[in-house]
Amino acid sequence: MKSEQTSRQRPQTVLVALGLTIAMALVFVLDTVTDYAVAAALFYTTVILVATRNFSVRTVVALACLCAALTVLSFALTHSGFYEVGLVNTGFSIVAIGVTTYLALRLVTAEAAAGEARERLMRMARITTMGELSASIAHEVNQPLAAMVASAGAGKRWLAQEPPNVEKAVGAFDRIVSDASRAGEVIARIRRMTKGEVAPSEPFDFNAAVSEAVRFVQTEAERREVQLNLELADDLPDVLADKVKIEQVALNLLLNAIEATALVEAPARTVTIRSVREGAHEIMFSVSDTGPGFKPGEANALFDAFWTTKPDGMGLGLAISKSIIEANGGRIWASNRHPGAVFSFTLPLAARPHHLEPTEDGR
Amino acid sequence: MDAEPIVYVVDDDSSVRLALEDLFASVSLRVRSFASVQDFVARPADSGPACLVLDVRMPGQSGMDFHQQMGELGQHLPTVFITGHGDVAMGVQAMKNGAIDFLTKPFRDQDLLDAVQRGIELDRDQQKSRATEIAMQARWQQLTPGEREVAVLVVQGLLNKQIAAALSVSEITVKVRRRSLMDKLGIKALADLVRLHDRMHPPSA
Repeated sequence: MKSEQTSRQRPQTVLVALGLTIAMALVFVLDTVTDYAVAAALFYTTVILVATRNFSVRTVVALACLCAALTVLSFALTHSGFYEVGLVNTGFSIVAIGVTTYLALRLVTAEAAAGEARERLMRMARITTMGELSASIAHEVNQPLAAMVASAGAGKRWLAQEPPNVEKAVGAFDRIVSDASRAGEVIARIRRMTKGEVAPSEPFDFNAAVSEAVRFVQTEAERREVQLNLELADDLPDVLADKVKIEQVALNLLLNAIEATALVEAPARTVTIRSVREGAHEIMFSVSDTGPGFKPGEANALFDAFWTTKPDGMGLGLAISKSIIEANGGRIWASNRHPGAVFSFTLPLAARPHHLEPTEDGR
Repeated sequence: MDAEPIVYVVDDDSSVRLALEDLFASVSLRVRSFASVQDFVARPADSGPACLVLDVRMPGQSGMDFHQQMGELGQHLPTVFITGHGDVAMGVQAMKNGAIDFLTKPFRDQDLLDAVQRGIELDRDQQKSRATEIAMQARWQQLTPGEREVAVLVVQGLLNKQIAAALSVSEITVKVRRRSLMDKLGIKALADLVRLHDRMHPPSA
């Protein structure tokens, strides 16, 4: 519900505003031309309800005040019917508008809080995933660090010689610079994965995102002696989704596959990562492993929250993956093959260029 | 015989290899580096005292496995382990298998240089004692069968008279063989003979 809202585009918002204006005008005319006994002003509550879904709190409050003012104005302009009935009806209408506004705004705030909580949970899951990779990450950072310390030591010694070997020292310092930027790149990748901000859906190169996720798990795969096969389709069009979250899902599926594959003693322990174009509007991504697979009845339970087969797992990875993929307009499913399991998801293509405009930035 | 010492580096990370090559070169040590255990095994022979700097985790055979295997094959090259993720259990295992040191990346350059220096000294000593052993073996081979019999019984602590009785020869013959074998082995004291014998024939053999 909320993600629909955040991804709503500007032209739609303008359309809603226009619709509401017409509706308010109609209610106003109806309220004015009918006699006092008809409480047409109650229809303003509908306008308020629609507005809370589309506009900021301040706008909604202003709108409610405007509705109340219009009700009073209608009352002043109307001359047919009993005056007292009209007065009471106007009072009722204004109270109804006020109460509706209050309740609707409460609801929206609660939804926003729930959305925020879910966002935090997803971020936590992302950090947990990164935590699972901590050994690999440490390895990846320590490697260039070790090279840097050794090069620095070498450079110092070249300079301490009589006469100093400047050429060799410069070579050592050049290596330090390139190793430092390599280490920095690793850190930047981790930061991109763990930062908390909500990114809007944007078109991005899906294969590049997958390759980034693969780089994260490479060392982990080597450590567990699992071979990674990449079969990424050439010329895949951009997809429209939240890149960081999709990377999180890919990472999660990859880690699961590597873990599952490492469970079995087999001559060829492989995880195959595939991306293909699926029809005119989607891409499909799949990760197949040569692990033990799952029991036939478990295919749906796999995506339930707190359902896990791992002794130290929370059972959140796939549940969160599912909610991310569905919020981004895709589908996710699991199937068994022999041997192992396949996890697949689809994502919509970025399609027409006018969909690429920036999205509505908050309410 | 007295060739220059050499350091072998086995690490799958090229920037670590380059940096270590340069570090050893800066202290005037000969160095050769390899991306994998397989490449290292296929290295050209070198007679200098050597030390191996080995990464624990590599694609293909891991450094740890290789080190253990080397020990089982009796090709003990002093080894300094380097690893990207320090694991106490792994370090303990490495030291039990006779590693010189277990350094966690990033390590201090001086720590590595010191460890490698120790490894080279150790290999030099091992080479030297291997050389003396070979020489001793050659001398032992020069003994006649009769002299060898006498030597074995002397080591067991028998008196000349007892040896003569055991071998059914005269006591004079025992004395002659005994002097002759001491001359051939180039030793004077009974203690030296015992030590030499033990080295030729380890208790387990």
